[in-house]
Amino acid sequence: MITIENLTKYYGNNRAVNDISFTINDNEILGFLGPNGAGKSTTMNMIAGFLPMSGGKVTICGTDVTAEPVKAKKNIGYLPEIPPVYPDMKVKEYISFCAGLKRLTGSEKKSEMQRVMKLLKIEDVQNKLIRNLSKGYKQRVGFAQALLGNPKFLILDEPTVGLDPNQVIEVRNIIKDLKKEHSVIFSSHILSEVSAVCDRVVIINKGEIRAIDTIENLEKPLKNSLTLHIKVAGSKAAAAAIIGVTEGVKEISEVIDEGNNITSFTVQLSGEEEKVRDVLISECLKNNISILEIYSDKPDLEKVFVELINRPVQKASLQELLEAVVPEDKSQEADDTDEKEEN
Amino acid sequence: MFPIYKKELQSFFYTPFAYAIAALFMMLFTYTFATAIGDMDSSNTLKFCYTEVFYNIIIYLIFLIPIMTMRTFTDERKFGTEVLLMTSPVSELKIVLAKFFANITVYIFMLAGTAIFPVITAFNGEVVISQLICAYIGIFCWGTMYIALGMLISSFTENSIIAAIIGEIVMFAVLFLDDFSNTPFISQYPKVQSVLFSFAAQPRFSYFSQGFVRLSDLVFFGSAIIVFLAWTFISIEKRRWKRG
Repeated sequence: MITIENLTKYYGNNRAVNDISFTINDNEILGFLGPNGAGKSTTMNMIAGFLPMSGGKVTICGTDVTAEPVKAKKNIGYLPEIPPVYPDMKVKEYISFCAGLKRLTGSEKKSEMQRVMKLLKIEDVQNKLIRNLSKGYKQRVGFAQALLGNPKFLILDEPTVGLDPNQVIEVRNIIKDLKKEHSVIFSSHILSEVSAVCDRVVIINKGEIRAIDTIENLEKPLKNSLTLHIKVAGSKAAAAAIIGVTEGVKEISEVIDEGNNITSFTVQLSGEEEKVRDVLISECLKNNISILEIYSDKPDLEKVFVELINRPVQKASLQELLEAVVPEDKSQEADDTDEKEEN
Repeated sequence: MFPIYKKELQSFFYTPFAYAIAALFMMLFTYTFATAIGDMDSSNTLKFCYTEVFYNIIIYLIFLIPIMTMRTFTDERKFGTEVLLMTSPVSELKIVLAKFFANITVYIFMLAGTAIFPVITAFNGEVVISQLICAYIGIFCWGTMYIALGMLISSFTENSIIAAIIGEIVMFAVLFLDDFSNTPFISQYPKVQSVLFSFAAQPRFSYFSQGFVRLSDLVFFGSAIIVFLAWTFISIEKRRWKRG
């Protein structure tokens, strides 16, 4: 298990990551979502032990990354945003070098090299210079490096960037398979990818966590506030009356007259979508109103994401801010001196 | 540590780099050797000695060593491979040492070529082996100190050309520190002069080239190397903290 506690990073006076805490369970794929510049890569670099943290603690399989970096790093496979490859090396040489870095020797080294090259399908380019490879291949070589030595914990920073759609699917499947033996933290800003691969999602923005939950749970609040779009041909007033009185309809949020006796309604639902739809269809038919189109906005991670990212951060009260600036002990001391002065 | 050492050696020897720099060094050494032979007074063969040749070639190291060390850390940054090294289970000190030893190996490769001249000389005359060994120890210490210094400068910047140029300037200053301390401007402050002079490496090298191996000189070069390497380590750590 990997525990991240109160992780904070300052670049000068600029706070890039603010007090982030979460855990990654064994055999879990955790998605790390956020817009560009949210602090994803900074956080991952800190977890991997590349960037020192300004505050907080990262524990990987019981080992503190700061206190025992070498021991902790044995359990980490890291693929940074830009694959860390040497352009002047051949793929095989590079993989061999990385295996050496991870202290693999002899037959174990050979079998590991074969395994990762086969898994990432880079065997056919193993004798090519890395500088001559396409971006997708470079990415796969970088990924292969992270898998060497079968580390328990994998940190993958946007692993599918630069891959073609086929390769993206392949890599996603590899990541899904990795779950059997590894814990994976996986960053991306491609939402469909995260919802396809990850068990849980951490959404961050401006260095702060906005949500940590499973995708289903994140989508739940939206499921209860579904939007239904109905396009009808017939009397506008009659249709509005039917929709208005149907059980499960919260409100009609928009009505657009499209001419030729065709009207589009946008309806907010409070009840179950299917029931409402059935009732609406049968009622409209009874009243000679034909339904040309009826569909609902499917709740998806994209909406959750946009909503969470754009939600303003709740500002702390003045009292809380003061407490944060003046530590308790000092404020007590100040009180004591005040009292003395008064005496 | 060994994989990094091996990788560094590959980057020198799998490319023409090590051979080109060794060839350039040989060319300069040959030129110095030939000039020394040419200047020899035929009535007094003892006038020629290898130690003088070695003494003359240290100025060439100002240009050669920075070219060798300039890429040590700058390339890692340029290609983003610094992350790979820093996140692998190898301590930073070992990374610095592995790179240092790889540079030293190339330097030994460069020096090894020059051994041909004493061999040729031995066929036609007599070579004072003990003095020659002293001179080699001296030039090895000098070059090793420059390598540590060059690596330090490489750790400061992301641009290898800048690293080379700054390296040349600093190494030039190191070489002529004793001359600077003897200028009238400095000699009017005897205390400053003595402090500067105690840091000057050239007088210490001259003992080696005269055939003396003094413990104090070895300690001087050893200390300088340790200081530069430790500083390199600190500089890398500092960059990690300042990154952003």
